[in-house]
Amino acid sequence: MLPADCSRRLVAELQGALDACAHRQLQLEQSLRVCRRLLQAWEPTGTWAWEPPPEPETNEEDPLPACTPSPQDLKELEFLTQALEKAVRVRRGITKAGERNKAPSLKPRSIVTSPGTTASTPPQSPGQAGGHASDRRPTKGLRQTTVPAKGRPERRLPSVRDRTRAGIGARAPRPGAGLRNQHMAPSAAPQAPEAFTLKEKGHLLRLPAAFRKAASQNSSLWAQLSSMQTSDSMDAAAAKTQFLRNIQTASGGSQPRLSAAEVEAEARRLRKACSLLRLRVREELSAAPMDWMQEYRCLLTLEGLQAMVGQCLQRLQELRAAVAERPPLPCPVGRPPRASPSCGGGAEPTWSPQLLVYSSTQELQTLAALKLRVAVLDQQIHLEKVLLEEEMGVQQRSAALRRT
Amino acid sequence: MRRRRVDPAAGARAGALPEAIAALSRSLPSGPSPEIFRRAKFDRPEATSALWQLLFRVLSPFPAGNALASIALEVQARLVKSALCSQGYPRLALAQLPEDGSKGSRELLLALSWLLARGPVPEQMLAQTRVPLGDEMTVCQCEALASLGPPAPHLEAEGPVDVRHVQWLMGKLRFRWRQLVSSQQEQCALLSKIHLYTRGCHSDQNLGHLSVTEAEMLRDPEGGQKLLRTLEHESRRLEAVLAWRRAEPVFWQWMARGCGRGPEWSAARRASRETVEKELGALQRCWEQDSGPAPAHGPHRLVRREDGAAGDRDLRAAELIRTLRSQEACLEAVLRQLQGQCRQELAGLAGALPGLIWIPPPGR
Repeated sequence: MLPADCSRRLVAELQGALDACAHRQLQLEQSLRVCRRLLQAWEPTGTWAWEPPPEPETNEEDPLPACTPSPQDLKELEFLTQALEKAVRVRRGITKAGERNKAPSLKPRSIVTSPGTTASTPPQSPGQAGGHASDRRPTKGLRQTTVPAKGRPERRLPSVRDRTRAGIGARAPRPGAGLRNQHMAPSAAPQAPEAFTLKEKGHLLRLPAAFRKAASQNSSLWAQLSSMQTSDSMDAAAAKTQFLRNIQTASGGSQPRLSAAEVEAEARRLRKACSLLRLRVREELSAAPMDWMQEYRCLLTLEGLQAMVGQCLQRLQELRAAVAERPPLPCPVGRPPRASPSCGGGAEPTWSPQLLVYSSTQELQTLAALKLRVAVLDQQIHLEKVLLEEEMGVQQRSAALRRT
Repeated sequence: MRRRRVDPAAGARAGALPEAIAALSRSLPSGPSPEIFRRAKFDRPEATSALWQLLFRVLSPFPAGNALASIALEVQARLVKSALCSQGYPRLALAQLPEDGSKGSRELLLALSWLLARGPVPEQMLAQTRVPLGDEMTVCQCEALASLGPPAPHLEAEGPVDVRHVQWLMGKLRFRWRQLVSSQQEQCALLSKIHLYTRGCHSDQNLGHLSVTEAEMLRDPEGGQKLLRTLEHESRRLEAVLAWRRAEPVFWQWMARGCGRGPEWSAARRASRETVEKELGALQRCWEQDSGPAPAHGPHRLVRREDGAAGDRDLRAAELIRTLRSQEACLEAVLRQLQGQCRQELAGLAGALPGLIWIPPPGR
């Protein structure tokens, strides 16, 4: 049995580690739920996901958040529509020269949702259009004539035409249902919502324009903030330093209790201060002032430097005294969130997140596994240190007892 | 020279100071009105509680929530005092203020200014509540398995604790580690798939694919609307912070007047003094700011690219992996050494306390 107080601390530390792990596990499971749900079948509901081909007559539906088609786009669409129709006709071997004129009345939805049917099908029943078995063949053919957008890892933002093609290509193999697109006529018969999976159709998604606008504005503002940080106004900086000095000199406050990490950091800072100050003093001493103004500046600078050196020395003495009188707190297992001075501060915090690029699933997994391993090692090391301290404490106490 | 002398007087220009304070108040979460600031400068008691609450928001390590708002003023005041003390706030007057909000607004304004002078407070607060649009991973280890606070003494451990209990806890911990590993592997696999399947979708070509947050927004439009609103709200706050940064010098001149300035100088000498102050201030900042080796801090947005190409400012997973492997090796060495030391101590203890039997945990 371990002595009570020793084991109490160990138990407390173990419990702390267990809680931290549980917390992280919870976060992971939350994220997993979301990811799994996304990889199953779901429906991107109309106004958000799909940026349908530009439509000239959209008035009766909910207004699109974006996308006013240009005349050029419309023309392209018309050409495409005609080309598709021709392909259908060729496949079927039926000439419908007459109906051809009726069909491309620039109602893209009719094309989009019933690619297989002849133009004689009224555009008002899009959902049912594809439902006929007879359509299956032509739609398959349609799919072959269009460039399959699916297989292409598109990096560029697809043009309108690509999107249209992609949209059609997507619908073609599933003649059962058009997309539950809100731009169909409200009188459409209830359509079976298409089972959408990220795997098959993920690359067709588009972020809504309102969001894109907001996101780009947001990131540009963060970027402005970062650049403003680096070129901090000299006026403001000097005024701040003066203000801090005024407050400091106006009071001789008691020193807060420092942790070992903070003591280390302070010592590092003071060492750096020492070398920088020494350098600067040498510069000033070796300068040869030409007139009284320069000499005056030089004098002021040296006085200021002397004051700073004095402050640093005083700080050093305070540190020494504080450490001697109250030994620094042991490092906690992890630092309290966001309270750590070295993280989240940093020399130059860039406020907008930078990118971390990975190239394969395995690489990502390796990276994450290593991160976790390092964190676990940190925990283990901390626990060993606690155990060691406690053991040494026990040994000291028992040695003391034996002496008496 | 002439121009610089005029600048300090610029603060007296009507509108500049209220503008600056208004910008400050907009840039802080639930910032008090500019009127409160002005009253605090004159130590009016009615401004006190608003400032306690603001300081509490600023100093509280946890992101704001409704729970925070319901904490009593006395408690908030006490927490503020303790937080300021641990940050090294030098003025004793603050610690002696009554906690009922009856007086002390000027002292609180000084404390707020002290915090503002020491760090980019509005930016930090904004960063705390930032809407992450991407899938993010931190590259520093600061919050990896952060403990949720100092370990609270376990209430049950009242008398001597059976070592088997300790061993059981240790085993439980090892199990949780293993669980974390497997959950995380799965999460990475799913993330990677989602990134792969949505390639070509993003309007920002630099990113290329959607993140989980963005895909989720498409799946759930209601949530998407919420996200959009939050994003826009954040943009408004950002604009306020930028306005504050531009107007800042005026604020500091106002505060400096409150703290009392030196004796009158002639124009030329004053100019010299200001220049020297600026230079020395910049020098001091060189060591005051925590410059470590510049490992990036904070979260990074994950981006999947088949070729792994990365820009100048981007991190590559492969490099990070290398760094982590060497860190791992280092830590393993430290752990082995500590374990060796522990075993030695135990051996010594076993000799010293014959009644003690220690069954070491199975080797890892």
